[in-house]
Amino acid sequence: MAEIKPDVKDIDRSLYDFRYEEKDFYKVKEGLTEDIVRQISKEKNDPEWMTEFRLKALETYNKQTVPEWGPDISGLNMDDIVTYVRPNTAMKGKWSEVPDDIKNTFERLGIPDAERKSLAGVGAQYDSELVYHNVKEEVLAQGVVYTDMESALRDHEDLVKTHFMKLVPPTDHKFAALHGAVWSGGSFVYVPAGVKVEIPLQSYFRLNAPGAGQFEHTLIILEEGADLHFIEGCSAPKYSVANLHAGCVELFVGKNARLRYSTIENWSKNMYNLNTKRAICEEGAKMEWVSGSFGSHVSYLYPTTILKGDDSHMEFTGITFAGKTQNLDTGAKVIQIGKNTSSSISSKSISKDGGISTYRSSVTVMPEAKNAKATVSCQSLMLDDISVSDTVPAMDIRTDDADIGHEAKIGRISDDAVFYLMSRGISEDEARAMIVSGFANPVSKELPLEYAVEMNNLINLEMTGG
Amino acid sequence: MELKGVFNPLPTLTWNFLDLNGVGIDETVKLNNRGDLVIQDLPNGITVEKDGSLLDEVCGGVGPEMDNIMKRENVPTLVIRAQKGKTVSKPICLDYKLGEGDGLLRKQEIIAEEGSEITVIMNYVSKRTESGFFGIQTKLKAEAGATIHLVKTNLLGNQYLHFDDIGGVAEDDAHIDVIQMELGGGRTYTGTRVDLRGRKSRYDGNVGYLTRGTQLLDMNYNIQHFGKKSESELILNGAMMDESKKNFRGTINLVRGAKGAVGDEQENVLLLSKGVHNKSLPNILCSEEDVEGTHGATIGRLSEDMLFYMKSRGIPEKEAEILMTKARLNSVNRLIQDENTLGRIQQFIEEAF
Repeated sequence: MAEIKPDVKDIDRSLYDFRYEEKDFYKVKEGLTEDIVRQISKEKNDPEWMTEFRLKALETYNKQTVPEWGPDISGLNMDDIVTYVRPNTAMKGKWSEVPDDIKNTFERLGIPDAERKSLAGVGAQYDSELVYHNVKEEVLAQGVVYTDMESALRDHEDLVKTHFMKLVPPTDHKFAALHGAVWSGGSFVYVPAGVKVEIPLQSYFRLNAPGAGQFEHTLIILEEGADLHFIEGCSAPKYSVANLHAGCVELFVGKNARLRYSTIENWSKNMYNLNTKRAICEEGAKMEWVSGSFGSHVSYLYPTTILKGDDSHMEFTGITFAGKTQNLDTGAKVIQIGKNTSSSISSKSISKDGGISTYRSSVTVMPEAKNAKATVSCQSLMLDDISVSDTVPAMDIRTDDADIGHEAKIGRISDDAVFYLMSRGISEDEARAMIVSGFANPVSKELPLEYAVEMNNLINLEMTGG
Repeated sequence: MELKGVFNPLPTLTWNFLDLNGVGIDETVKLNNRGDLVIQDLPNGITVEKDGSLLDEVCGGVGPEMDNIMKRENVPTLVIRAQKGKTVSKPICLDYKLGEGDGLLRKQEIIAEEGSEITVIMNYVSKRTESGFFGIQTKLKAEAGATIHLVKTNLLGNQYLHFDDIGGVAEDDAHIDVIQMELGGGRTYTGTRVDLRGRKSRYDGNVGYLTRGTQLLDMNYNIQHFGKKSESELILNGAMMDESKKNFRGTINLVRGAKGAVGDEQENVLLLSKGVHNKSLPNILCSEEDVEGTHGATIGRLSEDMLFYMKSRGIPEKEAEILMTKARLNSVNRLIQDENTLGRIQQFIEEAF
């Protein structure tokens, strides 16, 4: 069979590449100094302990070095990054009260429409602050708290103080320290014991200002037996200067609770996405990650789960699409401590047009774990000979009472598979499209229908072949 | 001698917390050049030169620090050469017999000229409880159409510090086949790098290991596919007991231009004691579309099904574990074609249990 390269189109970014001027927005100066951190803290009316926390995190940041492994981030200069940009509006509970340009942005991204159709609550962040937050009455009536982090810090200070950056301490790495110093925005969710939130909550993060950073903090606490699906989306218009996203997600999953955390990340290709996500599971708890990484110039993203409780479980399903100018280093980490814990990591990646995708993972089974089980599967698809696809999976097993399985495969679209489909009357173009769609299917089927459609639109796998 | 630097470096770095990017060592070892090398009868078609050094440009898996040590200490190079077109089926056996307190560095090169085939067996032996230092470097060159079979057995005492550096290049249609039995030593650092430069060149690695007591076995494999249709297969079968530690780094690099290349690495680890600590990092690096790279690993204790099967036939759990350990090691042993070497390995394994 003649070799015909599949023409897999780049992600159509026209949906995301638009912007409005930041008229009357409040901004701090570029760079990172103690004065800037104090200024952000003052602007946000932080309690004193939070101001101290920020300053200590800044000290840690200044002591830490950038990672010597992973993609190059020398193009990121903190002296050029604006760490706080506040839109010219307070947070609203109705879209009609949100200023037109910001409202239009979210309408073009389909957020109000999604809220009406399929969500129990929505938070929308524009640059450094939330501009809209709303949650359905019936969900509030269940005792669920879904609000922005600033309101949570005011109204649920003890809860925030007990949990904030306890899973991801600023000493974890340089960009966790940066987050601790300049965090702003993000969502707080508290689901009381036994409450099942039937339809998902969603937070959408939009970074509009050029040369700015977004440092939102997401804190979710599920009490015993609670159940929640939380969806996170993010995008930005493309600029010629570097933008930075150093968010932090901390998830506390109580006894026998279940949390599904789905992300569709579509930052622009000038974005350095240095995000940290971590969950801890108590006895019988279940953590499910669904992750689609499509945007960013550089990504470092490895959702981590600590299976502390006996019989706790983690599943990670992820896909990464690295195109031209992208270097996406993604994967997952799990630490198994309790008895009878189990984890399953399934990752897919696609590289094209010189894009670099790296799958990086670690499975750690601690000495006190008993009957730990883990399976890891990663598959990578190379769509041309100018791209790169690496897999770097580690297993650190510190007991004999474990059963670990790992498999990985890197390759291209199989000629045999194309031939098989063609022999059943399917055109070559269709055959290749089916194979690539099938490759991404395990991730899209884990998402609610509307988001699966969005993901498929994002991939926009148009196959033309010969 | 000062032993200082980073050994067994990972070709591509990863998280520091895993402590797998390389081994930092800073200690002093005593060299006294004691330790005997016994070369048994040389078959026809094989020559041995006592001091050559033709393969300095070939990199080993333990890393450049090993080259620096060899240069600094002026270690002479033994060159074993299979002459063009000669197929020598009888293996050349190099027995390194070491004793208590010995400190030895050795270096050899094995060159298989075009169309030749050679088998070299290297045994490192000392008594079970002895201590000392033994560092060895082996560089391989398989010219077009040639085959090198290399067998290495580590039966050193349980207090020995041991470095085993292997580097090889394979030209068109050449084949490098390395069998390693890592059974002895207190701390063993072994690294293999093979550059598959030629079209249809091939590397086969078969490794068996058993770690006991407080042994540390640190392994670094780095297989570079440059040649079109080059192939590699690395298979490790091992068992770990007591408080022993083992690190395995395996990298298959499918370099741009290596069209049609296929690389595979598989590791099966049997964990037999609560105190063991196993780290595995099987990497595939890929910058070429028209390739296949796969890796797999199974790590754990004996499965419940297997235990039930064994018990139902009157075999107690401990006995079943010993049987399965021997079976794993024998899957590598059976590839060794020398009765003397096999006898020594079998004896070592029997003594272990």
